[in-house]
Amino acid sequence: MSSLPPQAYAGALAALDRITSTRLGILLTESTPEEAFAMVAGESQPHGLARQLFDVAGLAAAWRDCAARKTPERIWEQCVELNIQILVSGDAGYPAALRHDPAPAPVLFVRGSFDHLNGRRVGLVGTRNATAAGRETAGILGRDLTANAVHVVSGLARGIDGSAHRGALSVAHGAGPIAVVASGLDVVYPPEHSRLWDEVGERGVIISEAPPGTVPEPYRFPLRNRIIAALSEVLVVVESRERGGSLITVDEARQRAVMVMAVPGSVRNAAANGTNDLIRDGCPVVTDVRDVMMALGLDTCRTGAVSYDSRPKPDELGSEILAACGEARTLDQLVLLTGRSLVDCAMSVGRLELSGWIHQVNGWFERAPSQVFLA
Amino acid sequence: MFAAVSSASLLGVEGHLVSVEVHAAGGGLPGFTMVGLPDEVCREARDRVRAAIVSSGLVWPNLRVTVNLAPSSQRKVGSGTDLAIAIGVLIASEYLPPDAAAGYGFVGELGLDGSLRHIAGIAPSVAALGDLHPVVSVAGRHEAEVVSTKKVFVARNLREVVDALKGEAEWPTPPAELIPEEFVWSPDLADVRGQHLARRALEVAAAGGHHLLFVGPPGSGKTMLAQRMAGLMPPLSAADALTATMVHSAAGVRLPAAGLITRPPYRAPHHTSSIVSLVGGGTASLRPGEISLAHGGILFMDELGEFSPSVLDGLRQPLEEGVVRVARARATATLPARFLLVAATNPCPCGGGAPGACNCDDGAKARYLRRLSGPLLDRFDLRVPVDRPQVDELMIGVGGESSAVVAARVLAARDLAFLRQGFLNASIPSAQLDQIAPMDTQARTMLRTELERDRLTGRGYHRIRRVARTIADLDPIPQAVVSEENVAVALQFRVSLSPLLRGRAA
Repeated sequence: MSSLPPQAYAGALAALDRITSTRLGILLTESTPEEAFAMVAGESQPHGLARQLFDVAGLAAAWRDCAARKTPERIWEQCVELNIQILVSGDAGYPAALRHDPAPAPVLFVRGSFDHLNGRRVGLVGTRNATAAGRETAGILGRDLTANAVHVVSGLARGIDGSAHRGALSVAHGAGPIAVVASGLDVVYPPEHSRLWDEVGERGVIISEAPPGTVPEPYRFPLRNRIIAALSEVLVVVESRERGGSLITVDEARQRAVMVMAVPGSVRNAAANGTNDLIRDGCPVVTDVRDVMMALGLDTCRTGAVSYDSRPKPDELGSEILAACGEARTLDQLVLLTGRSLVDCAMSVGRLELSGWIHQVNGWFERAPSQVFLA
Repeated sequence: MFAAVSSASLLGVEGHLVSVEVHAAGGGLPGFTMVGLPDEVCREARDRVRAAIVSSGLVWPNLRVTVNLAPSSQRKVGSGTDLAIAIGVLIASEYLPPDAAAGYGFVGELGLDGSLRHIAGIAPSVAALGDLHPVVSVAGRHEAEVVSTKKVFVARNLREVVDALKGEAEWPTPPAELIPEEFVWSPDLADVRGQHLARRALEVAAAGGHHLLFVGPPGSGKTMLAQRMAGLMPPLSAADALTATMVHSAAGVRLPAAGLITRPPYRAPHHTSSIVSLVGGGTASLRPGEISLAHGGILFMDELGEFSPSVLDGLRQPLEEGVVRVARARATATLPARFLLVAATNPCPCGGGAPGACNCDDGAKARYLRRLSGPLLDRFDLRVPVDRPQVDELMIGVGGESSAVVAARVLAARDLAFLRQGFLNASIPSAQLDQIAPMDTQARTMLRTELERDRLTGRGYHRIRRVARTIADLDPIPQAVVSEENVAVALQFRVSLSPLLRGRAA
């Protein structure tokens, strides 16, 4: 038993039922992980601050029971097998940005290299249900920040988050992306992001408060958002509705005096209502990577790779349609705007779709991003 | 004395001949019994018939009367046998001569005052009478004449029938009423502003018999468009007209004044409708449901996703076979149900709209669309996105072509399909697609690319080819070979319902 490192005990504490980061913090303030675990397992008398916790109804019994099932040995074995490291507050590798957080995360599970946490970091967040334009913007910002050695912090969710990470990964030698997720590091959510998840783990780092095997219950996402906010020096919101998870991240950022910036959107785009509201309330505007670099105090800036577009040039009607598709259009609108027949327009959008200039969702045509950030 | 009088009863949309046998004998207590599996309504004929005979100034026999409805193993429903029972009683009590009712079939309900009333299902009942002269109420005359090969006699009340049978009076001549040219409100396609794609979809659906699904937010005109569908379809064929008339008659739905339904029916059941009201059954006569009433015409299901899943599943077999077999413990009926399904749905619970406008979370969206099961969605050759028309088009736009112009094209295209393969394009078997709907090289390339990009399934590929065939048939100069233009338009009728269901939807 003594061969186990203290991190194994910390991991077992984080896996207890009804544990919260506050309770975990109390357990670990006056005791080492081994001592705390011994108290929880009933092998030693609770002492100090922790004593109050054991007075909570049923908690001591639940913990003792849980400690018997999820032993430090098992947690450690699991983490070694999945290549997951455990960081305890106070360890040398524990991110400095989280050390003095108002709502600290005493134990973190990490996959990848946590060296990435020491560079310059910018959070890129937004809605899961984003427009193609929003995802493109997120992708471009992710790419350009990464190319300028700034680490992109995001949540690996659908929509903006995923695109930001894809953009970051599109740069061959840049700052590794940082992902903070709500589930255990072996539970991929959303499932369609499993490849993206693996790539971020290889080239960047994925962090979670939850031990392996934890399913992404809804309440974990706002908690995850506070870590994203805490790890960001600047938080950029790309697209958000009036109420949404990314605005929780914004609140958390403001509590930590992290600068919040927003990408403006069309007033007719419901997915940009939240960001436009932020701007109305005085939030600085981001239109490209230079705005973010200025905010970080870095004035030298490389704009990302010059993109070579391999798509065939559209013909005259094609260009007209492409210009109109700056905002989402239906085929009927295109017929009206171009004054051409339904058949001509159908032919043209068919060609544009095939050559990758536009794409269609529910009968709406949008200009497709030039890069592969799209989910 | 004994008498046998012919009448008819209803099962599903078919009538069957009923022989009303009446036995009246002295001795014992006077009474009135009915046997031969009458249902509740039919059994109550006892009281109606007695009152009607007495009210008509005739004499109720002071005898023991037994009525048997033969064949006795089959359930008799409704009040259509009232008149026959009354005549039978009068013959058995020797008020009428024994052969007075020979050669006649009686279908009608009696009022307590002796008046003869209209009933549902005159047409199929009269058809079951075969070579007999039907005797029906005045209101049922046109309906009876549509199906009967013999002269139809009408009467206003029991007294008139009895007098005619006794030879004391002529059969009353039906009032020579002019059949009023019924004003049928048929919405015209010219009222629709914009909606180029949806208009084209209506035309293609009518011409090829393709089932059609509109996907769009509330207020985008899905219902308005669907209502105009019936106006694009050609009049019913003689056989379909007769079947439709039978179904409507059996269901007790009002028929046109001339008796025969000639225009394709349009039925739009509400989404709270029960499965029985949709597919039929329910009463002992297995009343036809909405899908049978839509036979030869259009069944419009607004808010498709709000129908109960069992109702939607109940549609699958009729959609495949064109008939619905309703089986109950006592009886089985095969009801006609070959209809064109036009449905409308919102893309998600909030109604959707442009990308980014939707507020639904993924779970709610997936739940909403899951109700539209894959097998049902597969039936729709045309899945058409609809959106609210542009303000400019609503305010200053000119209406498009009128229904008459489009209907002419539709008729020509249908004729072409019948000439070429003998059935509509929607039913082309996939094995015959290469022969019936060959494609030129560009069209082939276009579809190949779609397939290679995984944006089209094998089944979707066949659907697109059938639709493209219909589009080619609608060209001003119909082409034998399907071109790239045809395929490009066909591909627009294939909205994917959601990125979440992308794999299934194509």
